[in-house]
Amino acid sequence: MLTDELKKGSAEFLILSLLDAEPRHGYELQKLIEARSKGVITFHVASLYPLLYRMEDRGWIVGRWVEKTGERRRRFYRLTPAGRAALEAQRDSWREFVAAINSISGVRYA
Amino acid sequence: MRDDRVVPDWRAEVRARLAGARLHPQDEAELVEEMAQHLDEQFIDLAASIGAQPAYDRLRQELREHGVDEAITRRRKRARPTAGRAWASGSLWRDVRYGLRSLRRSPGVLAAGTAALGLGIGLTTMMFSVLYGTIIKGLPFADPSRIAYVSYNDPQHGIMDGGAPLGDFQRFAARQRSFESFGGLFRGLATISGGDRPDRISIARMTAGVFDVLAVHPMLGRTFVTRDNEPDAPPTAILAFSVWRDRYAADSGVIGKSVRVNGKSYSIIGVMGEKFEFPDEAKIWLPLQLNASLAPGEGPSLNVVGRLRPGADFESANAEFRGLMQQLDAERAKPSTERPVVLPYIRATLPKRVYTLLYSMLGAVMLVLLVACANVTNLLLDRTLARSREIGIRTALGATRLAVVRQSLVESAILAGLAALLGTALAYVGIGWFNGAFPGRERRFWMDIRLDPGVLLFVVGLAALATIVSGLLPAIQSAKLDVSSILKDESQSASSLRVGRMSRLIVGVELALSSALLVGAGFITKSVVWLRSVDPRFTTESVYTARITASPTDSAKERVFFESVERNLTSLPGIDGAYLGNDLPGSWGGGDRFAVEGRTYASNRDYGRTRTLAVTPGFFTTFGVRVLRGRGIAGGDRIGATAVAVVNEEFVRQNFAGADPIGHRVRLGGADSKREWVTIVGVIPTTYATSLDDMFPPLVLTALWQQPRLSTVSIALRGPAEFASAPALRKVVAAIDPEVPVYATSTMTEELAQATWSLRLFGNLFVVFGLVSLVLATIGLYAVMAFSARRRVRELGIRMALGASRRDVLALVSWQGARQIAIGMTVGVLLGATFVRLIRALLFGVQPTDPSVFALVFGVLGASAFVACVIPALRATRVDPVLALRSE
Repeated sequence: MLTDELKKGSAEFLILSLLDAEPRHGYELQKLIEARSKGVITFHVASLYPLLYRMEDRGWIVGRWVEKTGERRRRFYRLTPAGRAALEAQRDSWREFVAAINSISGVRYA
Repeated sequence: MRDDRVVPDWRAEVRARLAGARLHPQDEAELVEEMAQHLDEQFIDLAASIGAQPAYDRLRQELREHGVDEAITRRRKRARPTAGRAWASGSLWRDVRYGLRSLRRSPGVLAAGTAALGLGIGLTTMMFSVLYGTIIKGLPFADPSRIAYVSYNDPQHGIMDGGAPLGDFQRFAARQRSFESFGGLFRGLATISGGDRPDRISIARMTAGVFDVLAVHPMLGRTFVTRDNEPDAPPTAILAFSVWRDRYAADSGVIGKSVRVNGKSYSIIGVMGEKFEFPDEAKIWLPLQLNASLAPGEGPSLNVVGRLRPGADFESANAEFRGLMQQLDAERAKPSTERPVVLPYIRATLPKRVYTLLYSMLGAVMLVLLVACANVTNLLLDRTLARSREIGIRTALGATRLAVVRQSLVESAILAGLAALLGTALAYVGIGWFNGAFPGRERRFWMDIRLDPGVLLFVVGLAALATIVSGLLPAIQSAKLDVSSILKDESQSASSLRVGRMSRLIVGVELALSSALLVGAGFITKSVVWLRSVDPRFTTESVYTARITASPTDSAKERVFFESVERNLTSLPGIDGAYLGNDLPGSWGGGDRFAVEGRTYASNRDYGRTRTLAVTPGFFTTFGVRVLRGRGIAGGDRIGATAVAVVNEEFVRQNFAGADPIGHRVRLGGADSKREWVTIVGVIPTTYATSLDDMFPPLVLTALWQQPRLSTVSIALRGPAEFASAPALRKVVAAIDPEVPVYATSTMTEELAQATWSLRLFGNLFVVFGLVSLVLATIGLYAVMAFSARRRVRELGIRMALGASRRDVLALVSWQGARQIAIGMTVGVLLGATFVRLIRALLFGVQPTDPSVFALVFGVLGASAFVACVIPALRATRVDPVLALRSE
């Protein structure tokens, strides 16, 4: 089980990664994170939205109300150029971090 | 949420969670939308796996967590508009421009609202101006509230506001401490001669103190000093500005010249300024001669005035004078039954019924104003509903409730401002009319009825009041409108029902009130019309009247003078009749008790009552009165001959049961009468007298030349204006005695009209009130009907689509209005009937139950109410059913 500290640090990275592929709305992000982490990382309204809004304030993502035929109005978030740069930077540091951990712990992935 | 099938309202849950955050409405709306949508979807997924209730509980629990607060902080993009900012001048100006634009788009509301409020403000301002100029503004002297009037009340003898005898006054003046200045005066008529023609004018004899009480200074010369009031002082006089201007050609060297008053010469010591008038209409002031030898209760009766000393008030002055009166009582054999009363000048000298009348009229117009405000409220309510979508959008775009309220108030302020302008104009016209209709001789010297700054301030105050009263309700209503429900769909059911009930109540009250006023107006109008058309049964056309007062000499010379006047008038060419008498027929005066010879009367109260008039033979020709039986007053009926009388048919009916009265003798006066018995020699028809309580009273004519004493005589001449009017009369009189004034020149028609001026004036006011309230009620009804028809457009569209004819729809819409009209009018007419009973004393020639008046009021009110109700109904039927259905 991940600690809250770890979860918080990784959460922004996870969201940025998920938005890299396509714009998504809040509940979709919550479901994807939960599914892909196999239930290890979970969010709910009180934890997801402060995060999203903080990232929006930081200028990494931007939300837009989009109305699709036959669906209700939803706020979709997509990456901004600044967000993309932040994602790249985080990927790099993750890679370095994982490499460092690997070299110390000797854990290897197939 | 105990039922699994029910989907929770996450929007409401989130909104409740955000309630304390006081976000800007748009920020709040976005946050609610996003989270609720999230929760909706998550609930559906979660409920499928763990059941609805646990899912609901869990999501609610999560929503309560602290993270939401952080989200709120992050989402606080815009500052919530604060009150201070909302009322800032820049945005206020924007509201004014916006309000003007939007009012211009609905000229109907603008016109009806301005008209309603303008009429209300106009009437109220007019009545307030009358009240202000008559009572509130006070005397036109320095610090007028300290000027007091001291009068005697004698409840035992039923005498109120009597004067104080000179003997008492002199003692008060020496002993009193309440007043810093104190004076007494009495008034009279006097003949002023010298100059181009003599005149009869009002004069006042005053003590020096009166001018100190009024704190006035003369324009030329000086006012009286104590020395002038001493019995042996040389005769002095002070002139009014008009006398100085007209008789002395505004001569600045007039001081020291003399003026002849009642044949006696007075030295002019001063001239007062143009505006000075005190008391009513006095044109010359003479010193009042004091007399130290008078005992308490002796001497002529004076009007007593005083100026309160600083520190003294009316209460302390009253206490002091009661004490002084006890001292006076100790000096006389028998204590007086009179009690001194110290009151503010105007309160003491203006009849109480005038006070009551003015204040009740003001009350009535305030009611009209209230109705007008109610009307504007109704109009604005209708407008608010019609604009609910606009208001919703404004709110969604960030307008706070306060801003919405303000917008609504600004609009009613614009309306009230326009109405205040209209009302001021109306009041101006109304005051002009009132002043014109108010007869000069009823006017008191301090009355100055006009639109002055105080009154204008009052108008502005009224406009502000009207704004708040008529704007607040719609404003609050518009703020209450729920944004999202308005934006989602336009059904105005709930809120408009609330509004509708209130509007309908207001209109019901309006209808009732205006029916009541109209009933009153109807009866008074009928009385006025009846009075105008009443046949006096004597000739009034081409009859010119005047009064003359002989120069004071002995009675024989006076008689010779009046006889020459009669002779010369009768021999004037082109004249149909010349009359001299102690009064004019139809005038109010000249009532007396009388006894019929041979009958016994137990007490004074049992004696008969009749009108009396002493006439010359010219009475019959001048006024075209026939003698029915016996003879009229003849030339030979003089002193020395048998004293005769001619009575009218009413007198015969009351005293002789229709039997022939000729030969019977009557004596005028009551139990203590010393007058001679007069023999009835003839009977004339009953003629009109302008007494409103008894218009065809009994009358006894006696011979003028058999009167023991003559000094002032009324004259009437019948003939074409060039021969009979005032100039011709003056010439005749001047040829006999150039010192004799010819005054009170008038026509017989005017003389009769004067008796009914108050009835006509207040009757006309009542008619105006009634008509204004009719207009208001019509506007109000129209507003409510338009409003309810607007609400039902969809319903009516469905009805018409399902086959209802236009007539069905018309009937449906009008029915509701008709019910309201019927209820309002019934209540109003009942009220009006009660009211008419109360004012029965003002009604002439009409019974308080006269069905024709009620029918007329029903007709007029019903017709206009019907129109007000059918127009919106007709408009409703013109709606295309398809459009109506699609419109919402």
